[in-house]
Amino acid sequence: MEKNEAPLTVRGLTKVYPSFRLDDVSFDLRPGAITGLIGRNGAGKTTALNSILAFTRPDGGDIAFWGMRLAEQAAEIKRRIGFVSAGMTYYTRKKLKTIAAVARSFYPGWDEDTYQTCMRRFGLEEGKTPSQLSNGMKIKFALALALSHGAELMILDEPTSGLDPVSREELTETFLALRDAGKTILFSTHITSDLEKCADHILFIRAGRLTANRPMEEFAAAYRLAECQGGVPESMRPLALGLCRVRDGYTALLNAADAAALGVECRVPTLDEIMVHLDREEAKA
Amino acid sequence: MMRLLKKEFRLCMHPAALIMLGLSALVLIPNYPYAVSYFYTTLGIYFICLDGRENHDAAFTLSLPVSRRQAVRCRILFACCLEAAQMLLCGLMILANRALYGGAPNQAGMDANLAVVAQGMILFGLFNLIFFPGWYKDINKIGGAFLRASAAVFFYIALGVAATYAVPFVRDALDQPGTEGRGARIAYTGGALLFFLAATALSARLSARRFEKLDLQL
Repeated sequence: MEKNEAPLTVRGLTKVYPSFRLDDVSFDLRPGAITGLIGRNGAGKTTALNSILAFTRPDGGDIAFWGMRLAEQAAEIKRRIGFVSAGMTYYTRKKLKTIAAVARSFYPGWDEDTYQTCMRRFGLEEGKTPSQLSNGMKIKFALALALSHGAELMILDEPTSGLDPVSREELTETFLALRDAGKTILFSTHITSDLEKCADHILFIRAGRLTANRPMEEFAAAYRLAECQGGVPESMRPLALGLCRVRDGYTALLNAADAAALGVECRVPTLDEIMVHLDREEAKA
Repeated sequence: MMRLLKKEFRLCMHPAALIMLGLSALVLIPNYPYAVSYFYTTLGIYFICLDGRENHDAAFTLSLPVSRRQAVRCRILFACCLEAAQMLLCGLMILANRALYGGAPNQAGMDANLAVVAQGMILFGLFNLIFFPGWYKDINKIGGAFLRASAAVFFYIALGVAATYAVPFVRDALDQPGTEGRGARIAYTGGALLFFLAATALSARLSARRFEKLDLQL
């Protein structure tokens, strides 16, 4: 394996449901980086992750982990990835030590020191059951299992959903520490403020299509937000990528180049503002 | 496979399935359709699968370094372990029944003899063949698969009771409390074992094929 080989390469991923289509999604993950997969609820984030992990069967496309196909080398790949989903709690009435003992038996590279360190660091007690843990602690336990088997790529589906701000902050710090340790993270969320603190790269999915695949700074720098008191100037309307009603008027999302040409006072938008403006415009269309 | 089987026992075993095994003691009741006691173990298997759905067992299993085919085979092997345990327990209860009642005939179906164990093999083979492929078509819709399998199981039980009165071979050779017809019962048990193995192997094949195609709704 080459050191800089992409942990995950997705080409033309397509999944068709009667009322939804994940269409031609392609991207590579940069090793040792946190990539945020953002989009509103129902945009296709979970469908994309489930297809990547073969929980659902894609209708088209090619997925490779370190150049290997899951269908051909499932065991090897699964030893090197960890999957954590906020919506999923395993065996709610079994003790954490029982679940960990079972997981341990499947991984020859299981590192007991890492496991014990994670349990201590995350404040997890082995005698408890998942039903006795908060949502944040359940995610931390799933992370502890993934880290202990030596996962190099962590795939996280909405890990911060339903968590209070303090728990979200703690998890974000954990993700940054993992990145510093050389782990690659693919992190789907609709709470974009979490990604602003930690993501290196952004994948933006809208209505089943990947509409942005850029480094974080580049993604944010590509847009400007104009705050228009009263109404939106006529000269701005055709250039606006999205408009949102606010208390004193409107906010308009513009391409950075258009904003410069217009000469209006603008600021760099947050990820949340970019997502909201683009999705609102699409909904209107 | 052994690791997966161990996982099934440690994480997926439902207490009800163990209690159901205890219902093998129904064989001690005089004049009772003994094959009914096997139904309770199928109910235990149903509880295990139902509990697995609520605990996201499929997602956990598939996140381990195992294939879908291995996951299916292991779940069916786990069910077979319970089924074998119950047939063994029923065998012991048959011996206890004979010791208690001195080989008194059963008015509600097969007498307490080896043919009752053979009935278990056929019943479990039938259950495995209908339940698992039906369930693995959509693991979230477990009730329908169990209902269809249970309908077949009860039809077989009813047929078994009726046969002890209406079918000469069953009445005269199999449904005997003593040594009469022993050879026929051994042959019948051998045939039942072959049916169980063939039906379960076919079930595993069909189930794996269906599970391979299934989109898991996580």
